[in-house]
Amino acid sequence: MATKRKRSIFDVIDEYFEDLEEWAERFRETLVERPSWNQKACTMEPLRDIMVTPTEVIVTADLPYTEENMIQVKPLDKNVIQISANMKRKIRLDDFGITHHRGEFQKLQCHTRIPVPVDMDKMEIRFKKGILEIRLPRKHEYEISIE
Amino acid sequence: MFEGLNLSEEVKIIEKKQVPSGAIMLFGFPDVGLVGVIAASHLISELKDLEEVAYMDSKLLPPLIVLHEGLPHSSIRIFGNNDVLLAVSETAISADVTHSIMYALIDWGKSKNVKMMISLSGIPIQERQDVQELKVFAAASNPETLKTVQDRGIEILKEGYMVGPQAIMLQRCASIGLPAITLLAQCFFNYPDPEAAAEVLKELAKITGIKVDVSQLLEKGEEIRLKARDVMKRTQQELSKMKKTQEYDIPVYVS
Repeated sequence: MATKRKRSIFDVIDEYFEDLEEWAERFRETLVERPSWNQKACTMEPLRDIMVTPTEVIVTADLPYTEENMIQVKPLDKNVIQISANMKRKIRLDDFGITHHRGEFQKLQCHTRIPVPVDMDKMEIRFKKGILEIRLPRKHEYEISIE
Repeated sequence: MFEGLNLSEEVKIIEKKQVPSGAIMLFGFPDVGLVGVIAASHLISELKDLEEVAYMDSKLLPPLIVLHEGLPHSSIRIFGNNDVLLAVSETAISADVTHSIMYALIDWGKSKNVKMMISLSGIPIQERQDVQELKVFAAASNPETLKTVQDRGIEILKEGYMVGPQAIMLQRCASIGLPAITLLAQCFFNYPDPEAAAEVLKELAKITGIKVDVSQLLEKGEEIRLKARDVMKRTQQELSKMKKTQEYDIPVYVS
């Protein structure tokens, strides 16, 4: 039985604070309700989903009114990705019959937190039937072999 | 005509107009892919003579109304013409109150001598974006109705779990002896799926003869997906509480 590397006490403390920060962020995301559109940034938030398998993390997002060459996926740090997609047409809230708010949107945008370590450099992306699919291989920092 | 029918202390169905007797009652409630809601909304826009005949009033529902043209409406309404009653919800229904709401609607439908109940819904599949032709499955409340469905060429959902309003509908209708069918189109779990709604409407036509043109539904697919994001998001939260993913489970057969 062998581990790949030993962690120092500073690594442990760093990880503890990172976990705490991540938990606080998730807590905020869950509790604080906000509109699915941002008037100032002129963006709408797409629906998205995340699935963690033993080998990879699969993030999907529903991106109507967009095409493959209008989509950008950008890692913001080691566990957050930003999805942006320009839409083929401008959408106004009054297109949906909403006249008490004003807003004009031409972009779908969201940030997604990846819950486990992944290799951002090996990200694979495809876009089919309006659904963006991002596959990120998982990083396994500690491997325990069975003797 | 205005008549109130008090089914229980918890849930009231208020009738606004004369409700036909002997109609087919359809349900379009928020569920996976919002298949039922999208299909119901399309039926209302295509069948021009469907009008609101009744609505639900209940303290079990959240303190919410839907405003249309500045006027208040219940989030759960029943539309009808001479042949069809269509119950539709514009917001996600909380897992805790689904039983009471469905029982009230079914018992009300029975009091109107509804001849059959059909719920329009979806069944989630993985890698949905890779599927070209979506299948529609059915389950029924009794063997005779199941045979009718099979005779129309619709595949039966033989084994598995069903979670949500359509599950309660089948069980309640089976126990009170009312023929009922649940139609389930393969769909996305978490994303609005207008294509699946179109498929479920095609199969509905085979059973009931209610034919509507679904081309508009497909053409407006992107608009529907964008517009339905908020309802889908809230529906996801309720589906999670209902443990909807249990529908993927393999049951242990108990004969």
